[in-house]
Amino acid sequence: MNREPKKEQHTHRHDWSVKEVKSLINDETGTLDARIYSNQALYELELKHVFARSWLLLGHETHIPNPGDYLTTYMGEDPVIVVRQKDDSIRVFLNQCRHRGMRLARDDAGNAKAFVCTYHGWAHDIAGNLVDVPYEEQAHCDRLNKTQWSPLQARVATYKGLIFANWDAEAPELIDYLSDSLPYIDAMFDRSEAGTEVIGGIQKWVIPCNWKFAAEQFCSDMYHAGTMSHLSGVIAGLPEEMELSDAEIPTKGNQFRAKWGGHGTGYFVDEPGIMHAIVGPKVTDYFTKGPAAEAASKRLGSDMLGQRMLGQHMTIFPTCSFLPGINTIRTWHPRGPDEVEVWLFVVVPKDAPEEIKAELRNQNIRTFSAGGVFEQDDGENWIEIQKVLKGHMAGKVQLNAQMGLGQSTHENPNYPGRVGDVYSEDAARGFYTHWMRMMTEPSWDTLKPE
Amino acid sequence: MSFNADTLTRPPVDIKTQQEIEQFYYREAWLLDNIEYEKWLALLDDDLHYFMPLRRNRVKITRNIANMPPEFSNDQEFAHFDDDITNMRGRIRKLQSDYSWSENPASRTRHAISNVMILKNEEPNLYEVSSAFIVYRNRLERQVDIFAGERRDLIRRSDHAYGFKIVKRTILLDQSTILSNNLSIFF
Repeated sequence: MNREPKKEQHTHRHDWSVKEVKSLINDETGTLDARIYSNQALYELELKHVFARSWLLLGHETHIPNPGDYLTTYMGEDPVIVVRQKDDSIRVFLNQCRHRGMRLARDDAGNAKAFVCTYHGWAHDIAGNLVDVPYEEQAHCDRLNKTQWSPLQARVATYKGLIFANWDAEAPELIDYLSDSLPYIDAMFDRSEAGTEVIGGIQKWVIPCNWKFAAEQFCSDMYHAGTMSHLSGVIAGLPEEMELSDAEIPTKGNQFRAKWGGHGTGYFVDEPGIMHAIVGPKVTDYFTKGPAAEAASKRLGSDMLGQRMLGQHMTIFPTCSFLPGINTIRTWHPRGPDEVEVWLFVVVPKDAPEEIKAELRNQNIRTFSAGGVFEQDDGENWIEIQKVLKGHMAGKVQLNAQMGLGQSTHENPNYPGRVGDVYSEDAARGFYTHWMRMMTEPSWDTLKPE
Repeated sequence: MSFNADTLTRPPVDIKTQQEIEQFYYREAWLLDNIEYEKWLALLDDDLHYFMPLRRNRVKITRNIANMPPEFSNDQEFAHFDDDITNMRGRIRKLQSDYSWSENPASRTRHAISNVMILKNEEPNLYEVSSAFIVYRNRLERQVDIFAGERRDLIRRSDHAYGFKIVKRTILLDQSTILSNNLSIFF
């Protein structure tokens, strides 16, 4: 619900030329054309050029620990099944029977010995191979080439527990795709040999806004957290005797833009105010002081990476976002230009004390979930923007993404890569520039990272 | 919570108790629909547990029923809400500020509560109550959300003006994917 009935499509459909799409984003001047968020034709191009060619987050290894364990999710608008194999590998295939297209697995998750289509009984093994067809001799006269008629398989790769998949055989390997953003990902997922494990359950909800608002915010927008959006979220966590004016909202930190791929992250440095407001002092201390934190710094190579990035936000282009230290992870599933489906799960350090795991769970539910005291207000911003964009004039304005223009350098002594101030939009410009390249460069020969 | 097909065979409580508890629920709903958050908070016990588990789609396979993932998430897994009274006080404080954008302007809600069934607890003055709800929410210009579900409560008599306090509320929402941009209201 909560949207108007779909209007008739305007009969004049814009056919976007490469030149026109390129003009939507300007990295030098820091401008965005509002049509990237609402145009139906652009969205359809996105499904083809972005979602069918990028590494998309499906879940975590600990969602499917045992052979036959599966979860159903999406790559763009394509439903997929993610299944643990007997040899411990993972297979991802289209949740679609090749007979007449019926969805094979209609539930959220489970453990299967086979996937049998409920329409005509075509049976598939847990690797997604068609293995049995009822009345095969009588109906198909033994002509059926079952390999040819199995569901489409995607490429699968994992990074530190995260499961990604990609439809495009030509796309770079995941590790290359992640470019120079690894240290910032590792700060959350590689703090110890034990790594991370999920808290069970994936929360799902629908926000009537374009997916890019969410993906960009987690990539590049500490500004909203340090200013207006989350004031009441902070208030919700204050001890009774404290006022908002007593809360020490941080102001100092950095933003990183990946040299390739559109990934970005930002974080405060040393100031714990926002971490305290979200996960509380116990979890903040666990990640910043004491033996576990020190061991993480040792493993990651510096305490700047292990203990001193506080309140970090990150997006791996296009739709994998997470908040290290808070440990919420989400995939933003596009559902048309005007809608996104959020699928959220939380990870905890596997070797953390039970008390810390419980606290992470509780604080995440409290702050970053559909009813979270922080997240409620993010949704408010995005839905209003989307409604305003329906206007003829409003829908094609240029938007300002000029924060930190020209300010990032490679000279930060403590943090690798292209780094600028935490209140910047350099990462957003990187996100949209890569988006524009995916939309306009058909061949990986030009697109691939050097 | 002991609501199941067997416990529901117990005779209903006396009419007076039935009326008192139903009225309590209607008054609670009125407070929520009239944005009387402070007064609603006062109906919640200090030992409050306000819990709304996730709800999952499962396919029944009768031969493998024991191994099916449970439909509702448990208290180790993620949830929509899992609040104690401190969290709840924080939520009210958020709502009362000028900055709670998701509820400023406020949603217009209508909590329709029905199907109130009451089981007496061994302890006197403690009741287990199941009720159904349809919550209509309208906000801003045209946003409409409709939620339905069951609440399973543990309530106790109190000398509080409204007669009862809510100790435990478990909300079983009739949705798996939440069909709204947020859950900024109470059920």
